[in-house]
Amino acid sequence: MYFYLSILFSLMLASSAWAVDARTSTILSEVDDLWRGSSSHAIATLKVQTQHYSRTMTLESWSKGKEKSLTKVLKPLREKGTITLKSGNHIYTYLPKTDRTIRLSSGMMMGAWMGSHLTNDDLVKESRLEDDFDAKITFEGRRNGQNIIEFTLLPKEDAAVVWGKIVLEVEAERHLPIREVFYDEDMQVSRTFTFTGLKELAGKIRPSIMHIVPAYKPDEFTEFIFETLTLNVPIQDSFFNKSALKRHQR
Amino acid sequence: MKLNQLAFRNIFRRKRRTFITAFSVAFGVMLSVTFTGTGDYTYTNMIDTGAKMGMGHVTIEPLEYQNKPTLDKRLQKTNEILQQTRALDAIASAVPRIMGQAMFASANKNVGGAFIAINPELESANNNLFIKSLVEGKMFTSDSKRGIVVGSKLAKKLRLKLGKKLVYTTTDVHGEIISHIARVTGIFHAGVDAIDGNMVLMPLKSTQHALGYTADEVSLIAVLIHDQRQANLARDLIRTLPSVQGYAVLSWHETQPDLAGMIAMDKSMNYISQILVGLLIAAGIFNTMLMGVLERKHEFGMMMAVGLSPSTLFRLVMVECFWLALLGLMLGIIITAPWYYFLYHYGIDLSAGMGNDFTYGGVLIDPLFKARLFPESIMFILGSVFTLAMLAGAYPAWKAGRTPPIESLKTI
Amino acid sequence: MHILQLSLRNTGRNKQRTAVTVLSMAFACAIMILFSSMMAGMIQGSERQIVEMNIGDIQIHPQGYRDDPDIYKRITDTAHILKQLAQQGIKATPRLYAFGLMATHGTSSGAQIRGIDMQREQTVTKLHQHVAVGSWLDKTKPKAVVLGKKIAATLGVTIGDELIFVGQSADGFMANDIFYVQGILKAVSDGIDRSAVFIAEQTFRELMAIPSGTHEIVLRRPTPQTDLTQLTTQVQNLVPEYEVKNWKKLMPAIARLLETADIQSLIMMSITYIAVATIILNAMLMTVFERMHEFGIMKAIGVRPWQIVRLIYTETLIQTLLASTIALIVGWWVANYFSIHGIDMSAIMDGSVSMGGLAFDPIWYTYVTYESLFTPIVFLIVMAMLAVMYPAWKAAWIKPIDALHYR
Repeated sequence: MYFYLSILFSLMLASSAWAVDARTSTILSEVDDLWRGSSSHAIATLKVQTQHYSRTMTLESWSKGKEKSLTKVLKPLREKGTITLKSGNHIYTYLPKTDRTIRLSSGMMMGAWMGSHLTNDDLVKESRLEDDFDAKITFEGRRNGQNIIEFTLLPKEDAAVVWGKIVLEVEAERHLPIREVFYDEDMQVSRTFTFTGLKELAGKIRPSIMHIVPAYKPDEFTEFIFETLTLNVPIQDSFFNKSALKRHQR
Repeated sequence: MKLNQLAFRNIFRRKRRTFITAFSVAFGVMLSVTFTGTGDYTYTNMIDTGAKMGMGHVTIEPLEYQNKPTLDKRLQKTNEILQQTRALDAIASAVPRIMGQAMFASANKNVGGAFIAINPELESANNNLFIKSLVEGKMFTSDSKRGIVVGSKLAKKLRLKLGKKLVYTTTDVHGEIISHIARVTGIFHAGVDAIDGNMVLMPLKSTQHALGYTADEVSLIAVLIHDQRQANLARDLIRTLPSVQGYAVLSWHETQPDLAGMIAMDKSMNYISQILVGLLIAAGIFNTMLMGVLERKHEFGMMMAVGLSPSTLFRLVMVECFWLALLGLMLGIIITAPWYYFLYHYGIDLSAGMGNDFTYGGVLIDPLFKARLFPESIMFILGSVFTLAMLAGAYPAWKAGRTPPIESLKTI
Repeated sequence: MHILQLSLRNTGRNKQRTAVTVLSMAFACAIMILFSSMMAGMIQGSERQIVEMNIGDIQIHPQGYRDDPDIYKRITDTAHILKQLAQQGIKATPRLYAFGLMATHGTSSGAQIRGIDMQREQTVTKLHQHVAVGSWLDKTKPKAVVLGKKIAATLGVTIGDELIFVGQSADGFMANDIFYVQGILKAVSDGIDRSAVFIAEQTFRELMAIPSGTHEIVLRRPTPQTDLTQLTTQVQNLVPEYEVKNWKKLMPAIARLLETADIQSLIMMSITYIAVATIILNAMLMTVFERMHEFGIMKAIGVRPWQIVRLIYTETLIQTLLASTIALIVGWWVANYFSIHGIDMSAIMDGSVSMGGLAFDPIWYTYVTYESLFTPIVFLIVMAMLAVMYPAWKAAWIKPIDALHYR
């Protein structure tokens, strides 16, 4: 699910706002380019395992730029047709059962998205991470039998992030992401993302599985598995229109 | 003979009766003072506490804010309104505030709550209850960009300590969702979970910035006045200011209808109690006066026989009653003064007998039985006790006037 | 002559004086009975209103639920517990809670939905009587909701309006459905006013995918006299694995307020008693001193002081007993009347009011207890006996010659 991966990688965007050296900037933007076209279409499987339930969903998603994305549930039947639209700072949910579209309020932003370990806020924060962190390379060399580069991202003083820091490991050669760890303010691990399942997607080798484990519930996880990914597909802006949500309900 | 002289003579001749009657009246004064005084104290205390929790005695706010307090509604000429309001005599202080709902998150957890953005330079423990109940750290400065003072229970939920960061998410003036960071500079403990677990204080300037408000825009202006009873008057006065036209000006009765209702209810209970006590006092006076009249049948009979009219006798007893009541009031003031002084300055600590499970943390619940009288309450008490005494004396006086001259001569 | 006979004759001789003395004592005593019942009613009434409104006398929760209300923390054997409680004559009702978003026409608000067992709930609390507009939930309308006062204002909805709920069900799916506003409550408590949305238990279970278990069981004492602490222990023994707390522990601030009010009313009562004492003292002094003349004559014809004391005491006793009987009958009748009909104070106030976040009825019911009936009576008798001591002593030892001039 591109939509979600892009949340994480957008923070590596080679934007002029980065207060980093040229090499850091180049690698991070290269990693980001790996995932971000001007637009995209993907089909992914979402697996969620918690103490109380485990579930599997199939999702179809479209995105354009950083600001617009739309995700539709294909399976299971019970939630088929549920659509999440992200447009700028807003998240709308279309509920086929009620045939209504709801804009999530600020109070709901911290709620879990689709029962996963990600919050609605994680969706919105996507485009802002780049402004919120300072990145630098903190390790280069062999770790766990792989040549890696480790980036440490520290939140800027004014950044509205709860994390104390984020540590990202990428393959040294192909610049593919391996692991990303989020720390709280006391520098305790809060959640860990791991990227596996290298395969060819949209004409290039990319990790197809993203695995998220919350540190305080090590038995639980959320996993995204890419089935297909197409980049730079032509999509109209109007596709991401709130009023068009019903129309996507085919 | 003058009625006054005659009445005086009667009063002095029967010292015991006089003393007892006067004492009944005096007790009436004491009881009324206790009831009314604790009422006046408690209500003022509650109203002031309520006012200091955010809205003030009088609130200047956008129309409809009362029914639907959202952040897109705001006052626009804040400084002008503040200036004009502060120029009024009755006003103790007028402070600008922004109040809204927000989501607060730390890396551990997130909870919903509410914020009040204030200018710390304008607020003090005297007009802001949260500042008064600060238990850790200190207030942020008015220029603080990220300062925040949080409730003790909220701090616990989010596992926050002084200096730790917290992200708040809310909706700005355009309805956009915004998130900002803040660092805990202080923690307050008001003693009520609903407040300690929900509320935070934020610096006005940075909040205006975060919400997209101009420096001249706030949610409301909270006005505190010297005497809470003048709230409606102050409200009407403020309403005439040119700068508040197009905004709502409400007194605490309207912004806190629940509190107003509760006080109204307690007041009515107090009234009913006082009526009962008044009846008791009146019964006492009635009893003594009637006994006095019955006892003096002989005397009244004589007076009738020598040509005094029934109406003169009626007036005689009423004049006696008048002086008795007056004497009673004086005695009442003498015995009530030390009691009132005690209640005024010390009060009775109601928490003493409650054992250890009850700790009076915070400032919201006042465990003291204290009294505070408004000047007009004193006049009201004295007036009504006096009236009561005169009413209680009316029947005996009428009875005295009806003493049959011959028959009364026959009794001993 | 026999003392009793003599005193009866004395009492009967000056009917007017006896009547005034007896009636004023009876009046004072009756007022005290009413006042005590009113004070008891205020304390008891506040407690009952708090308890009846929503909280109940005792609540059972899964351990840790109150600190962290997680939908997965549930009481699993609800039916069994309810049955056991019923066997002990305790009325109880299960409740379910979940959080989510209520939305309508572009506005939305965080909400706490509360699944209610309509039948049982009515036997435990009086929430269903606190509807300000519309009506309470009913069985025939599974999609009906009743909202707290403030959340209804926030959403800007009225009766019949549509509401959409979105949340996360227990199986991780998105819980969502359309509901219709059936009723809006009066002020109940801050929490309920601000966020509560009541729905039928079955609807809740289907919406949130919770087929069994509950988050809370609320119960009421079988009778108001049942000792709360004892009952709490009893229930705790019944369900040792769950948290059992009575309302005083659940709402310590309110319990504290009430205790404060209790002591306050005690102070008020004591002062009022002093006023009553002066009336009794007054009456007794008057009836004896007025008759000093008469006692002087009795002394002159050779009646011994102790006989006079006994005479006066017997007379006093007759009068106080008479007064007590009248006071008891009148006081009881009036207090009882107001315990049924209540004193409606809504004339001075409007709508529902709330204290510490709790709504109160503007009707003041008296509460007739043994204490409120007999304390004033005992007080009356004791006070009269004490009050008459001095004049009796005076009368007994007075010199006949002084009595003739006594005023």
